[in-house]
Amino acid sequence: MGFQNRRDFFKTSLLLTAGITGISSKKNKAASLDGPSENRMGVLVDTTVCIGCRSCEWACKTTHGLPTKPIDSYLDRSVYDKKRRPDEHALTVVNEYDNPNNPLLPTDVKVQCMHCEEPACVSACIVGAFTKHPEGAVTWDTDKCIGCRYCMVACPFQVPSFEYSKAVQPKIMKCDFCFERTKEGKLPACVEVCPTEALTYGNRNELIEIAKQRIKRQPDKYYNHILGEAEIGGTSWLYLAGQDFGKLDFPKLGRDPAPGVTEAIQHGIFSYFIPPIALFALLGSVMWINRSKNNGEEK
Amino acid sequence: MKYFVFIVITYLSLSTFSFPQEVIHNQVNLECNTCHTCEVPTKNDPCLIECPRPKMQKEFPSSETGPDIFIMDELENRYLPVVFTHKLHAQMSDMTGGCLACHHYNTLGPILRCNQCHSEKRKRTDISKPDLMAAYHQQCLDCHRQWSHKNDCTSCHAEKKGNESFDRSEISSELTQKTHPEVKKPVKIIYQTDCKEGKLVTFFHDQHINIFGLDCISCHKNENCISCHDPAKVKNGKQHNFDKPIMVNISETERHQRCFGCHENDKCSLCHKNSEMKPFDHSLRTGWALNKNHLKLECTACHTKDKGFTKLENECVSCHRNWNSETFDHKVTGLMLDEIHIEFDCSDCHLDRDFSRRPSCGNCHDDKNFPNNKPGKLVN
Ligand code: SF4
Ligand code: SF4
Ligand code: SF4
Repeated sequence: MGFQNRRDFFKTSLLLTAGITGISSKKNKAASLDGPSENRMGVLVDTTVCIGCRSCEWACKTTHGLPTKPIDSYLDRSVYDKKRRPDEHALTVVNEYDNPNNPLLPTDVKVQCMHCEEPACVSACIVGAFTKHPEGAVTWDTDKCIGCRYCMVACPFQVPSFEYSKAVQPKIMKCDFCFERTKEGKLPACVEVCPTEALTYGNRNELIEIAKQRIKRQPDKYYNHILGEAEIGGTSWLYLAGQDFGKLDFPKLGRDPAPGVTEAIQHGIFSYFIPPIALFALLGSVMWINRSKNNGEEK
Repeated sequence: MKYFVFIVITYLSLSTFSFPQEVIHNQVNLECNTCHTCEVPTKNDPCLIECPRPKMQKEFPSSETGPDIFIMDELENRYLPVVFTHKLHAQMSDMTGGCLACHHYNTLGPILRCNQCHSEKRKRTDISKPDLMAAYHQQCLDCHRQWSHKNDCTSCHAEKKGNESFDRSEISSELTQKTHPEVKKPVKIIYQTDCKEGKLVTFFHDQHINIFGLDCISCHKNENCISCHDPAKVKNGKQHNFDKPIMVNISETERHQRCFGCHENDKCSLCHKNSEMKPFDHSLRTGWALNKNHLKLECTACHTKDKGFTKLENECVSCHRNWNSETFDHKVTGLMLDEIHIEFDCSDCHLDRDFSRRPSCGNCHDDKNFPNNKPGKLVN
């Protein structure tokens, strides 16, 4: 089935679903998210001051009870030979890239969940195991998760990972913005440990102002863009860099939130308790109609 | 930072820890609100104005008179305090942005401690400036990372093994007295250029210092430690071997800018030649040989600052304006006048006071001429 057809299929099914559930996608979004509150927190990652020491990786693992080698072993720079992604063993990783402005100062980029303002993972999760908290964190609840891994597919930053190695009660693993620590008034573990404060924790609006100031004061040092300020509706974690973010493996994203369609369907269905089987029967028939229409055209 | 460091050390050695800002405050003639935002600044809350500050300290003591070392112990925790070799770093910074590289945004008056602006706590209300640990690390690691290609902690921090305490008196003199070894200066550097007429530019490094009186920072303002300390990756031709012509990897404008401060109005061919140039020689370049007295002089004795290195009138009196028969010691010319001739006015022999022409004996003698006859005796 071609792309065009798939879109047709989605459109038709969306209309039908909206008809069934009797609610618009707008209302759903509003219900799932109260809009960024004034005290939304975030972290500004300034990749121009990150030294790639990976203390943040160590601190994150230690705080989250993940197995880790002693901190001294993090001095080994051979890990930078290949690019890594956060996975079930490490909720955050640091990668290193060439710096065209100064080959002796490579650019180090810490990667973790961006804690999107309008998170695709939250929308994609059909059982509501993900929560966007008013302070910014997007967390995941082990009791609700059914292991469908929709979140992994939906996340534009490819963050959530799955404990494939575990047979019993495998978990979805991702940075939780140190939810427990911040609740107690502590800083996220990575922010606390970072020797150069490449990670600044604070009010998201304030962080955006600070980031703008840094760019204004040192226009030669910074690439004039705050990643996460507007992308996919904004993210709680924001990035500054000395070069184009595309070169640092950040996906090129528009300003519109990623969710939308899936959100409308899923939330609509589940909030009105329509049995999934009925929906799939419906979707199946739509698909069938579309296909036979296509076949007719092709002939 | 370096200057307050000095203050700290002085006081540490006296085993007291009062901060001598009051003393310095008395010496500065400033309105309080040049630096402070509140009526009554205190030690704990100096309420300094926000950075970047409109009026900032630009003059600092020399790297030699600043403190030798500074002990950073505000944040000791996992590690013992850091002994920062201040003098060594100050000497290096002479060529890399000077004191301002660290002492940025210092208000006028006293030299500020870093922690007067940079919080010792990471969790704080004002997050617009890095905290103290970050401020230190950002300053240090920019160079250290480039230099060593490492970011290990132990090159600066000694790890705490147990409960050992840090004894200031045990800091070895090796550290306190540590200075930067004298920088090896090249005699000349030959630049290979892509200029069609005159491919080679011979730069006489020693002559620019010794004859033309330039100091290091006239040219080396923004050197990077790596220019010398990273032999593995030689950048911009700054290697120590200057025997062969080198290519530099900087833009034409940037290359010329370094010389244009003085050579802006000179012809290209002054520096661009097809072969290696000979060192500067006054008689070759200007057609006016320096005699043994003039050779001893600094260029600037004749070529004063306002005139620069331009062509001067080469009559004695164009420089030696107040010379007359009484003030001039004729011996310096190599001829000591005898008792009779020493009484005469200059113009009696040097007709019309033209000292470039041969002196005449005709005013008194019909049968004598110079140099066959001399009005005195030759001396060395
Ligand atoms: S980055 Fe991915 S996992 Fe994190 S909040 Fe956004 S969509 Fe969810
Ligand atoms: S915020 Fe917490 S969970 Fe997220 S990367 Fe930092 S330490 Fe890990
Ligand atoms: S701890 Fe800070 S400096 Fe070190 S790698 Fe992480 S973000 Fe970069």
